[in-house]
Amino acid sequence: MKLPWSYMTVGDWLVITVLIVFAVAGMAWVAGAPVGSRLVVSDGDRICFTATLDQHRTVELEGPLGRTRLVIDNQGARITGSPCPRKSCMTMGPARQTGDLLACVPNRILVRIDGERKKDSPYDLLSR
Amino acid sequence: MPWNRPLILGLLIALLALTWWRLQPQADEVRRSQFMMGTVVEILAQGEDPSALDEAVTAAFAEMARLDRLLSSHRQESDISRLSLSETGLTVATETAEVIALGLQVARRSAGAFDLTLGRLKTLWALDSDSPQVPSLAAITATLDDLGPEALMLSGRMVRKANPALQVDLGGIAKGYAVDRGIAVLKEHGVTAAAINAGGDMYLLGQRLERPWRIGIQHPRQPNAVLVTVQVSDRAVVTSGDYERFFEQNGKRYHHLFDPKSGFPAQGCRSVTIVAESVALADALATAVFVLGPLSGLEMLKGYSGAEGMIVAADGRLYASDGWAAYQVEP
Repeated sequence: MKLPWSYMTVGDWLVITVLIVFAVAGMAWVAGAPVGSRLVVSDGDRICFTATLDQHRTVELEGPLGRTRLVIDNQGARITGSPCPRKSCMTMGPARQTGDLLACVPNRILVRIDGERKKDSPYDLLSR
Repeated sequence: MPWNRPLILGLLIALLALTWWRLQPQADEVRRSQFMMGTVVEILAQGEDPSALDEAVTAAFAEMARLDRLLSSHRQESDISRLSLSETGLTVATETAEVIALGLQVARRSAGAFDLTLGRLKTLWALDSDSPQVPSLAAITATLDDLGPEALMLSGRMVRKANPALQVDLGGIAKGYAVDRGIAVLKEHGVTAAAINAGGDMYLLGQRLERPWRIGIQHPRQPNAVLVTVQVSDRAVVTSGDYERFFEQNGKRYHHLFDPKSGFPAQGCRSVTIVAESVALADALATAVFVLGPLSGLEMLKGYSGAEGMIVAADGRLYASDGWAAYQVEP
């Protein structure tokens, strides 16, 4: 009687090897993703933009008052331009850790950093 | 079909399932945000049943929205707007009376540093508008006439005004009260670990990931920096700072925390953080201490057992109450 794996062809072994390599690499990628790795922008009701924090860019977000400018760079995500009267959203500094929020209330722009939270995070929420 | 093809297919399905499971968000946490009370309110609730958590969070938001309709000075139908429009006063909802009672108590114990009657003064400075401005001294003086804790009297649910022009403003306390009520609703739904954050007015219920909640306190002059971190459970944390809402004119900063005695922004502090048993109290105390300044503010705090505070003075020096160190995490 032949052993089960003796039926395997070279192609079968190749497929299984590729699957395992991809699975292990995928798991390592997910596990190694930085804390606070995803940025989600909503208008309070629905999500209107998402991005990863490692993709540095500038985006213009449309709100009822006009366009709010959001910059994603090495410091995190921050609002650098806004049509709102008080501009307090522009003085909030960057959001970079899971749970950090930026908001322009008049223009209804809400920026949240999502991602897995670790027990050793320096803080859970920011009092500002 | 050779037997090894189903094996490969099975392996592929197993790996896909494992990857899908790994990519799912944590099911024991619900986090939702809404624009409310002129700010963003975020509720984060932890537990084992996501649908029960979701129901609890929905109920908490509904309760906070109900209170906003009662307490907002920007809603014509609210108790506060009706009170400001009335000549002599009116009967308000129980919740409105509770907020006013607490506000008047802090106002008296802070010798008027906390004041619920600054509505007209805030309108004069127009800090929320496109064009805030430094009003004339005469205009400020006229606005301050007949203001102060004595100008508002509460008896049961009846609120009386000493001056028909008096406009009530609960901005320094209403958000905190709404957060307290939101937390009460979460507790009624069996939630034992949660946080509600209404634009910096926050309550931390229970624990976060089997340890107390860690709250970073923003540096008042470095938006990128955290000044200190505190660890709390079942406590409110509120920070008031001159960097939140301000404008500059002729190189001088004018912020939103007004000294009722002068009618100008208080000058003694850059920021005040209070840890207390309720958010409404912490909210009112943060404003009162900011207006009083570091030394008088800390003196007043001694009268509130369970309330601790940290102050960044106008010159950048740090002051803290005796029990503050119990909360602060060493770097």
